[in-house]
Amino acid sequence: MSTQQEVFEIISKQAKIELDTIKPESTLKDLGVASLDAIEVIFDIEEHFNINLPNEDTDFENGTVGQLVQAVDRQLAQKSANG
Amino acid sequence: MRRIVITGQGAICALGHNAADTWRAMTEGRSGIGPIGHIDTNLLRNNAAIAAEISDFEPRAFIEESRLPFLDPLSQYALVAANEAIRQSGLSFRNERASRTAVVVGVGVAGEETREGLYKKLYSEEIGRFHPLGIVRIMSNAPPSQISMAHGITGPTFTVASACASSNHAIAQAALMIRAGLVDAAVVGGAEACITLGLLRAWEAMRVLAPDTCRPFSANRRGLVLGEGAAMFVLETLESAQARGVTVLAELAGVGMSADAGDIAAPSDAGGAAAMRAALQDAGMQPQEIDYINAHGTGTVANDSTETRAIHQVFGEHARRLAVSSTKPMHGHALGAAGALELIATIGALRHGIVPPTLNYLGPDPACDLDYVPHEARAMPVRAAISNSFAFGGLNAVVAVRQAPAGS
Repeated sequence: MSTQQEVFEIISKQAKIELDTIKPESTLKDLGVASLDAIEVIFDIEEHFNINLPNEDTDFENGTVGQLVQAVDRQLAQKSANG
Repeated sequence: MRRIVITGQGAICALGHNAADTWRAMTEGRSGIGPIGHIDTNLLRNNAAIAAEISDFEPRAFIEESRLPFLDPLSQYALVAANEAIRQSGLSFRNERASRTAVVVGVGVAGEETREGLYKKLYSEEIGRFHPLGIVRIMSNAPPSQISMAHGITGPTFTVASACASSNHAIAQAALMIRAGLVDAAVVGGAEACITLGLLRAWEAMRVLAPDTCRPFSANRRGLVLGEGAAMFVLETLESAQARGVTVLAELAGVGMSADAGDIAAPSDAGGAAAMRAALQDAGMQPQEIDYINAHGTGTVANDSTETRAIHQVFGEHARRLAVSSTKPMHGHALGAAGALELIATIGALRHGIVPPTLNYLGPDPACDLDYVPHEARAMPVRAAISNSFAFGGLNAVVAVRQAPAGS
């Protein structure tokens, strides 16, 4: 499964929305995931991939979920580079 | 209705170990925020290893040695501030005065340093023997208990907990007891000692801690920075203060409280506005009579824009003429002690005609369009002011103060 699929599944589960309503260009805000729900989504993603997402990569207002997927990929790449 | 005045104040925070030093630092625009000294910051993530810590504090210089084993820093701070406030007021609690005085302290968390120390032993070092004074240090009512014991105050004594609004809720409870005739005086304020590894990690996980610094109402603000300390006040009736012939620092004109009944964390403009309106109404004041607002102003994106909208809703056209500042970039966000430390700033503004600044302001955010007194303190007459505290949980408490009545 691609990172995108995994991230989208986590969002769909946490936000209780259909998987196919999530598009890479959606923001968490568009998807109705706000405030602590958004923080929880990020936490679930961190737990799932065992990574840390810095605050800079988690702009709930303007950042898209596509950008979130890229941020996850960056952290995964860094993790495998660090062995 | 009984009028209530403030006749003593005391404080300890990153800016100083008494109210005068704290106020001076506020007028100088000095920040107490810096790298965290007393915990291992390697265990923090997102490099948010800054806070407004109290430094160079020697408890023995303020508190009798025999009392110290019973005190978490939480209660040490509360006692330092209360002792100063009571000393300034000149009140003594002999005879009937003892039972006619209340002690109410706002505490957001509790004796966290003690708690974490014990749990670290248990969970990570698997050491089973706990210090027997753990409970009396940790309990959230330790600060008012210690104040009552140190000064022989036997009236209603308790802690009020509403996270970041605890101090203002405490002040409201004390004021209402005085007005109701239950007591004639109160020692009231807030205390917090919250810069511990466990709590910092929990705040980090909420993604509200700023990695750089606290810049309320500013473009590119990135969150709050924790602080610690205490501030305490002596409240009494105007009649009592006049009979004693003591200096009145300010009149406590009104209090307002509300709950958002909405989100557990996201603030609501309607909730904040309701508390501000209630405080003005309680004080019998019109919005136009207010010259200064000491804002909650945490430096988070959500708080500062929401608070700005709430101020517009309450003050209308007058909002543009108000000076609004957040002193949190100086003393940090001291949670349960926040409202009390900010009342030091607000009383200072009334008494000295100086509005403390909002530090670290980089430039305007379209969602924050008021006069935030950036960078430097401003000399201006302040007849009356309000101080806002809005807590997680959607709990809001606002205190309205005005200049001491003429002839007092």
